[in-house]
Amino acid sequence: MPIWLETAIRSICILIGLFVITRILGKKQLSKLSFFEYIVGITVGDIAGTMSVDLGISLQEGITSILIWSLFPVAVARLSLRNKKFRDFVEGNSTVFIKNGKILEENLKREKYTVDELLEQLRKKDVFRVADVEFAVLEPNGDLNVLLKREKQPLTVGDVFPNPPREKEPQTVIMDGMILDEPLATMGLGRGWLKEQLDKQGVAIENVFLAQVDSYGQLTIDLYDDKIQIAEPQEKKLLLAAMKKVQADLELYALQTNSEEAKALYERNAAEMAELVQKVEPLLRN
Amino acid sequence: MTVASQVKQTLASLKGIHAGLQQLALTSQDETAQRTFHEAMLATEEIIADIKDRIGRLEFEEPQYHGK
Repeated sequence: MPIWLETAIRSICILIGLFVITRILGKKQLSKLSFFEYIVGITVGDIAGTMSVDLGISLQEGITSILIWSLFPVAVARLSLRNKKFRDFVEGNSTVFIKNGKILEENLKREKYTVDELLEQLRKKDVFRVADVEFAVLEPNGDLNVLLKREKQPLTVGDVFPNPPREKEPQTVIMDGMILDEPLATMGLGRGWLKEQLDKQGVAIENVFLAQVDSYGQLTIDLYDDKIQIAEPQEKKLLLAAMKKVQADLELYALQTNSEEAKALYERNAAEMAELVQKVEPLLRN
Repeated sequence: MTVASQVKQTLASLKGIHAGLQQLALTSQDETAQRTFHEAMLATEEIIADIKDRIGRLEFEEPQYHGK
């Protein structure tokens, strides 16, 4: 067997083997590599590389070594899933750097962190004043996570509107001009409804690149032809406007009528309508 | 436009609102939103009943505008 052929066969087999191994190791490896896992990954790659090129190494030796190097982290991960103490030992503990707005110098020293490095990490989190920080912790993987003081935290929707209307994830119902039936069904809608909505907006399905339905049953579309202008869905806004108009009308009738009884009726209903408008306005506004 | 026909127009808008709320109650995915729309729909039903009542009386008082 020519040398190049042997190298090729080895390389391909090792490639496939490595692919299988990375699949076994899973996604977690990608998101947070501990230092140990990082080293292991490099070593496995190195062994694989040497094995595929260096024909002096027998396959038996190489495969044994690669299996041990790659399966050991899997075993460690399995064990640390079960046992908290073992997990702390393997993955390390987080260290608190700032507590109650005060820097803990002892902990900095223990992690061999200088103040400059701490400031740099804080700046990475867009914090330039240490005084703004309530709590900061160094995670086992080296990230610094920061909790700002309450008055320095960014404003959220919940701060402004105590009970904001909830929003579920939108569903994509048309992709590349093809109707996706499954998401449509999860929204409790059908092809008939979709057709009707598209007709209302005056577009053909073939021309739709992407269409999504939001959690209030509104359809938003993107067309292949970007020159065509499509209006935003207006149903909710129109409904709100109609409600406000009816409320105003009722108030007007209450002022115009001469009959006491009718006046009372109009006023009561106008008040009820105003209450209704207030109740549904947050849901209809966007 | 007579008072009766104005009130009838308002009744028509109310019915439209009723239908819109009903549709939103059915198509919304969130349960609280569904409930809010449903409650609002029921409330409009009461208003519609009141206004219908009033229209009946108006037509009785001004029979010349009946059905217009």
